Amino acid sequence: MRGHCSTVTTGPSQSTTLWSDLLLRAMAELRELYLPLESHLDDGVRDDFSHLFEGSARLDALLQQESPDRHDLMNVLSAIRGYGEMLREDLAAEHTELDAALTRLLKATQAANSGDAPEPASQDHRNITSEPGFILAVDDLQENRELVARYLSRSGHIVVTAAGGEEALRTLNQADVDVVLLDLVMPDMDGREVLRRIKEHPEWRATPVIVISGSQDMEGIIECIEAGADDYLFKPFNPVLLQARIKAGIERKRWHDREELYRQQLERNEKFIRATFGRYLSDEIVTDILERPEGLELGGDLRRVTIMMSDIRGFTSLSEQLAPAQVVTLINRYLGAMTDIIMAHQGTIDEFIGDAILAVFGAPMRRDDDADRAVQCALEMQAAMEEINRLNREDGLPEISTGIALNTGDVIAGNIGSERRSKYGFVGHPMNVTSRIEDVTAGGEILIADSTLESLKGDYCTGECRELKVKGIDELLQVHQILECAP
Amino acid sequence: MSGKILLVEDNELNRDMLIRRLTRAGLEVMSAGDGQQALDFMRQQQPAVVLMDMNLPVMDGWTACRQAREDASISHIPIIALTAHASDADRLAALDAGCDDYATKPVDFPGLLIKIEKLTGQR
Repeated sequence: MRGHCSTVTTGPSQSTTLWSDLLLRAMAELRELYLPLESHLDDGVRDDFSHLFEGSARLDALLQQESPDRHDLMNVLSAIRGYGEMLREDLAAEHTELDAALTRLLKATQAANSGDAPEPASQDHRNITSEPGFILAVDDLQENRELVARYLSRSGHIVVTAAGGEEALRTLNQADVDVVLLDLVMPDMDGREVLRRIKEHPEWRATPVIVISGSQDMEGIIECIEAGADDYLFKPFNPVLLQARIKAGIERKRWHDREELYRQQLERNEKFIRATFGRYLSDEIVTDILERPEGLELGGDLRRVTIMMSDIRGFTSLSEQLAPAQVVTLINRYLGAMTDIIMAHQGTIDEFIGDAILAVFGAPMRRDDDADRAVQCALEMQAAMEEINRLNREDGLPEISTGIALNTGDVIAGNIGSERRSKYGFVGHPMNVTSRIEDVTAGGEILIADSTLESLKGDYCTGECRELKVKGIDELLQVHQILECAP
Repeated sequence: MSGKILLVEDNELNRDMLIRRLTRAGLEVMSAGDGQQALDFMRQQQPAVVLMDMNLPVMDGWTACRQAREDASISHIPIIALTAHASDADRLAALDAGCDDYATKPVDFPGLLIKIEKLTGQR
C-alpha cells in the first residue's frame, strides 16, 4: 500500500509539448551553474538572473494549468528570452558553461515560438513506456524536482519529491517507493549519506537508487555504485535516458517484490510444515523434508528402519481409577519426557495412541547407527522413568512403568493418506511384528528382535532370550532382553 | 520628434525586460500599462514610436490603435504591435487597426530594433 505523502504530482499531461521540458531542463541546469557563481557576478547580471528565474517560475505555474493562455505564455517566454539574450551578451566570454546553458534555453524558447516541438537532437526521442512506478526524487533545488516530476508523471509515474536527505528518509518511511532518484550534492544531508542509510536499512535496501551527479564526476559515481547505488545519470540528463533508467529500476524493484512475496510464502509454508510435523519429527527431519521438495509428495520408499513401540503397563485400568485431569497430567508428563528423549536420538515419532508411542529410527533420514540409537534411546527412556515416578509421587499420582519393543525390518515410509489429510508414516509387516513383541514386554523391560540385535554395532548387555509365535510367520521369533549395564 | 519609445505592456515581467533591453540598446523608454494610458502618453509625450501589446486591460491595443489613427495630434506616431499569435489573421487584425508593423512574442529583439529603426530612422 502507498503511504500518505505531502507533495504528490500525478497524472499524464500529454498536451505539454517538448519545448517546455527542454526549457525547464535548461533552466534547472542554468540555476545550478549560477548559484555557485552568484557572489562573483555584478548586480546587473544578478538582477537579470533573478528576473529570468522568476520567468521560469511563472512558466512553470502556467504549465500546471489545464490549457494555459497563449498570451500569458508568450509574455513569459518573451521575458525569458529577453533576459536570456541579455545574459548571454554579458556572460558569454567569461562563462562558457553558463553560455552553453543559456544557448539551450534560448533554443527552447525559439522552439516554443515556432509553436511546435524542435527537431529531435538525435534518434533517442523514443518513447519509453514502462509500468507506472512510485518515484522519490530527491534534490535540493525546487526547479530540478519539478522538472523530474513533470517528466515522470507524464509517463504515468507517481512522483514524490524531497528537498533534502531527512525529508527523503521520512518519505521512505511512509511509502513503498519503487525507485529513488538522488541528487548527490545537497546541503543538509549529502546524497552519499542518504544512499548509505537506504542501503543499510533492512526494508529499503532493495529499493533501486539512481544517483544524479552535477558534473562528469566518474570517481564519485564509482564510489556510489560501490556503496550500493543501482544506476547513475549526469546532469543535464537526457529525458529519454532518465525514463529508460527509471523503467529498469522499476522492473528491478518489481522483480524483488515478487521474490520477496515468494520468499514470504515459502516461509509461511515452512512454518506450517514445522508446526505440523515438528510435534512428531525432530528439527533435522523437518529440515530434511523442507530441503527436498519431493519430501512432501505422497508416495514412499522401502527402507530398513528400527521400529520402537512402547506403552505404559496397565495404563487403561490405572486411568479408570484417576480423575480425567490427573490422567492428562500423568500421560503428558510421560509423553513429554519420552518425546524429548526420542528426538534427542533422532527418532521419528510416528504417532501416540493413548499412552502408546510409535517411533522409527532410519526414516526419513537413514543413518548407520539407527539400531544403536534406538537401543540407547530405549535405555534412556527406561532410566527416565525414575524421575517421572518421583514427580508422580510428589503429585500423589501412581507410579508407572513402560515396556519398550524394538524391531528392525523393511517398511514403506512416506506420506500416507489422502491429498487432504496425510502424514509421514510407515506400513509393512515389521510394524505388526513390533506390536507383537510389545505385547509380551513387561514393565521396565526392553525387548529387541533378532533383526535389531544383528544390526547393532555397539556392545550392550543382553538378558534372557525368548521365542514368540507371530501370526503370519511360520518360524518362532527370537527376542532379547536389553539390560542397563556399563558397556 | 522626441527620441522616446513608448512601451505599452501590462505584463510587468515582459515590460521590465523590454525596458531593460531597450535601455541597454541606448533608447529612452517610457511605459504604459493599458490602452487608455497609452493614448494619454502619446498625446503628452509624443514618442518616436510605440510598441503596443494588443491584449491590454481598460482599452485593448486594437481600439487604442484605431483611436490614435483618428486623433490628428498622434496619428503620425508609428505603432508596432506585439502579440502572442503568429497567424495571418492576427497580423491582419493589427494592421487593420492601424499598426505600422508587427512583432510576435517571444520578441526577436534584433528584429524589433530593425523595425524601430526603419520606422523612426533612429536607433
